[in-house]
Amino acid sequence: MDTLNFIIKNIDHVLFLTWEHIYMVGISLVIATLIGVPLGIIITKNENLAKKVINSANIMMTVPSIALFGLMLPVLAVIGQGLGKVPAIIALILYSQLPIIRNTYVAIKNVPPSIRNAGKGMGMNRWELLKEVEIPIAVPVIVAGLRTAAVMNIGIAAIAAYVGAGGLGVYIQNGIDRVYPEMILAGALLVSIFAILVDAAMALVEKVLTPTGIQIQQRLSQ
Amino acid sequence: MIVYDHLTKIFGEGQDAVTALEDVTFTIEKGEIVIFLGPSGCGKTTTLRLTNRLESITRGTIEVNGQNVMDMDAVQLRRQMGYVIQDIGLFPNKTIAENIAVVPKLLGWPKDKIQDRVQELLTMVRLDPDIYQNRYPAELSGGQQQRVGVARGLAADPEILLMDEPFGAIDPINREQIQDEFLKLQEKLKKTIAFVSHDIHEAIKMGDKIALFEKGRLVQYERPEVLLTQPKNKYVSDFVGADRALKVLGIIKVKDVYNPKPKNVVQSSDIAQTVLNAMDRRQGQFSIVLDQGKPIGYVTRKLLKYEEGPVKELVEAFPIHLRERTPTRDALSFMLMYDFTNLCVVDANHNFLGTVTYNDIQTKIKQSYTSEVEQEGV
Repeated sequence: MDTLNFIIKNIDHVLFLTWEHIYMVGISLVIATLIGVPLGIIITKNENLAKKVINSANIMMTVPSIALFGLMLPVLAVIGQGLGKVPAIIALILYSQLPIIRNTYVAIKNVPPSIRNAGKGMGMNRWELLKEVEIPIAVPVIVAGLRTAAVMNIGIAAIAAYVGAGGLGVYIQNGIDRVYPEMILAGALLVSIFAILVDAAMALVEKVLTPTGIQIQQRLSQ
Repeated sequence: MIVYDHLTKIFGEGQDAVTALEDVTFTIEKGEIVIFLGPSGCGKTTTLRLTNRLESITRGTIEVNGQNVMDMDAVQLRRQMGYVIQDIGLFPNKTIAENIAVVPKLLGWPKDKIQDRVQELLTMVRLDPDIYQNRYPAELSGGQQQRVGVARGLAADPEILLMDEPFGAIDPINREQIQDEFLKLQEKLKKTIAFVSHDIHEAIKMGDKIALFEKGRLVQYERPEVLLTQPKNKYVSDFVGADRALKVLGIIKVKDVYNPKPKNVVQSSDIAQTVLNAMDRRQGQFSIVLDQGKPIGYVTRKLLKYEEGPVKELVEAFPIHLRERTPTRDALSFMLMYDFTNLCVVDANHNFLGTVTYNDIQTKIKQSYTSEVEQEGV
């Protein structure tokens, strides 16, 4: 109840921090998608490269976020961006790469060989096959990767408050500093609700983007 | 026409090299179905995949209508040939109509032409366009999907059709049916077809010629009846099976054996005693009664004895009539089933064409084997 009162009393600030959070997660997801999806597709044509790329993304995932901010600080300080939203967005992009690349790679790889063989045998070139067949079939799994990345990034963005990126993490960080439980709870609660909403929204996106034929196939195979 | 000339395919290099196909030479004539037959790993599928350059040729050449396939753009080449495979490979994200339209669309046909063609093809493969064109592959049964697969292969009206075990994944009853339908279609379309199969029955049924492969080599290339009656070596005779004489019965049609002018035919208006006397003279037991050129039944001595008047009133009906296209195997089966040694052949309007007896069939089979003995003697 106290938490709720805190939120109501500071509603303007709450909305502002929420907006910052959305902004960081949103922009990083867009950029990560633009990098990760094409990369995931490219590496399906080259097994060696695929291993290297996925391993690198894996390693990136194992670095704790706080450590990553620390590592980037001296580098970005050179261009005067050691603190703030830039390091936060860069970190979020890096963390999203694994689920996005891996899902894209697996989804394209899992297109049944008979479908690829039929397309090729009928005279589709590589691009036509990708555009007309492979990507539409892969869409549900690719979007599932984006969904994982989005939800994960909401959590990581909360930590970015420590490098001055703003967002709902500010309440958690300040609340801890000031031993102010309502403030901590407000931050944690809002981040959680945000994550749940985004997860639901992405589920909807997944459904809308999945071709009808694939949806019917999924339904009938259950 | 497709000409395979000293075709060799080696997969891998150096120590890992595997010869999949060795010095294969044969020609598929225009309008013929040629079955590439053999056990798995014999090179039949490789030969097919070399034809549309899904695999690269190691040595030798393939010419399609006089043009070396290696001089053609691979993608353009494939668009000129229909391609139908066992796993069908329909695109699950596209409707049936969109699946069929793939190649016409790649070729840049105008929309209304594609639409008309889709309707035409669905009707051709006996799927109602109104019901099926907007459905998705997942909503169709395996047999229906393969019909769509065939329609898709025919979409741009290619002169050549490559089929890789197209009916292999369909249950036996549906397979028979779809094979029959396909043969009927082919009678009209007269495509040049390369057809991979591992099933001797399918090969005999579908093939104008059979190319039998063993370990990357072409062992025998012949018409099915010749392959059955004159196998080149033990491998071929083993492959076609010990019952090859019976299989020949499946190929030889009634039209090849029937007697168009049997002696034991009488008219319905003939008087019983006259017929009986005539039967006595030629020592026959059995006469076929025609009424205005249509067989209405038969009479035997027993039926005619002590009878007067025209035979019309005495006839017993035949249990079944044969058509020209009936395989002699079926004719023989009817003879055993109904205990008849003499059956009538009729046309679509039930007009009498002739008769078939055990003897007629036996004589024909003997003929095919005699030529075998003669050949071996040479």
